[in-house]
Amino acid sequence: MSSVTIEFQSLSKQYKDVLAVSNFTAQVHAGRVTGFLGPNGAGKSTALRCLLGLVNPTSGQAFIGGGPYSALHEPIRSVGAVLDSRGFHPGLTAMQNLKVMASASGIDFARIEEVLKIVDLEGATHKRTKGFSLGMKQRLSLAIAMLGDPEILVLDEPANGLDPIGIVWLREFLQKLASEGRTILVSSHQLAEMQNTVNEVLIINKGVLVAQGTIDEIRRGKSLEEAFLDLTLGRSA
Amino acid sequence: MKNLLQSELRKLIYLRANWLLLLWSGLFAALGTVAPIMVLNSENNRMGFSGTNTPEGINAVFSNAAGGYLFALIMGILIMTNEYRHGTAVGTFLVTPKRSTVLLAKLIAASLAGLVNQIFSYIFAVGSGLFALTFFEPHAPVPGELLMKVFRATVISGLVLGIVGVGLGALVKNQVVAVTGAVIWTLIVEGLIVAFVESVGKYLPAGAITGLVNVDFGENEFNFAIENYLSPGPATLVLLGYAAVFSIIAMRTTLRRDLD
Repeated sequence: MSSVTIEFQSLSKQYKDVLAVSNFTAQVHAGRVTGFLGPNGAGKSTALRCLLGLVNPTSGQAFIGGGPYSALHEPIRSVGAVLDSRGFHPGLTAMQNLKVMASASGIDFARIEEVLKIVDLEGATHKRTKGFSLGMKQRLSLAIAMLGDPEILVLDEPANGLDPIGIVWLREFLQKLASEGRTILVSSHQLAEMQNTVNEVLIINKGVLVAQGTIDEIRRGKSLEEAFLDLTLGRSA
Repeated sequence: MKNLLQSELRKLIYLRANWLLLLWSGLFAALGTVAPIMVLNSENNRMGFSGTNTPEGINAVFSNAAGGYLFALIMGILIMTNEYRHGTAVGTFLVTPKRSTVLLAKLIAASLAGLVNQIFSYIFAVGSGLFALTFFEPHAPVPGELLMKVFRATVISGLVLGIVGVGLGALVKNQVVAVTGAVIWTLIVEGLIVAFVESVGKYLPAGAITGLVNVDFGENEFNFAIENYLSPGPATLVLLGYAAVFSIIAMRTTLRRDLD
């Protein structure tokens, strides 16, 4: 088994009357693409935001790269994250947005050309992002996440807005990164696509972990969608 | 910190809206000197102020050259609220999880932006005022001491109001509400309090800036009298107090807030 790089330990997050995440414990391993699945409002995004230090857990903790995110030295060089498709200013060009992020973390601007090439956005370098399609925004978010050439990628619904070609590109992109030994944690609603992309699966429902294992262990001969519905709706197998 | 500050300054420079705001601040400040020249040279509607052929009239005109501080305030608000409006706060805090460091960089950047904004609008206002005066000869001389006093108020207000804007933006978060509130407060509410309730108004930012300028307006229908305002030393302290209070507000709200 490869090493654990992301760990949730009894993580809970309460928002007033809503328990978004409840006693969530899970591990994510290096060299794998781990799918983080659950219905809308299941607590996926909250758990990821707790992991990245953006939301304070009510109890429990989350570790990434051996400690809390806030303890990482130059975190952008260890962890890349895509949490939504709005993480950049619409009035700036792709290049300007990337320069803002690169300069904040002392990354050489030469890396910007590289990441734009990786996400296939070279043709839109000097275009203001308010004119970007959702798919282009997702690619730019991925470019920002890749700026520091991180060992760990945390992606929240990265396939949203991508066309079929973009989805295939994303699948191959994530699998290539995992084959390099990187850790990929990716949340998604697109179960059919996840089935072709991930090696391991975490399923969360109503804030509670309901299943964790390899894709084959979770599917047990069914489609991922069927297995997911069985687990989240409590249907009999 | 150096990297973060560079990043904040890049955001300021890259955004075209900021350059437009700078231009507006210049025009606004220029209006502040040109309009009084027109009013003070009209025969029937001087509102009791002396004309520009008197030192008091010249004082009344050029004391307005520090009047672009509203735009320094707006610049500070935008620096903070843009992060929430466009969702860039997530990326910013992922790069630098220590939020106090991010806030410090923003406060410094806002202070510098406020300073640049105020100096630009001061130059615009003084230049426009001097030009407009040439149409109303003879006029009293414009003393260098007056321009230096106003410049002092310009610099201090620019440095402080940018910081106040960041604090306000951190507190309110909603950009439209924060900017609209700042405009209504500065142009209407604060102006009325400073003009008509001097005992309170002298402690507000606009009143403190008036005290910093510290020039005699002469007799007028509004009973403006510089003696009713703080002298430059205490006025500076009041403004620095605002900077400190709003810095603390920015820190406390941003450090505790969940980014959902």
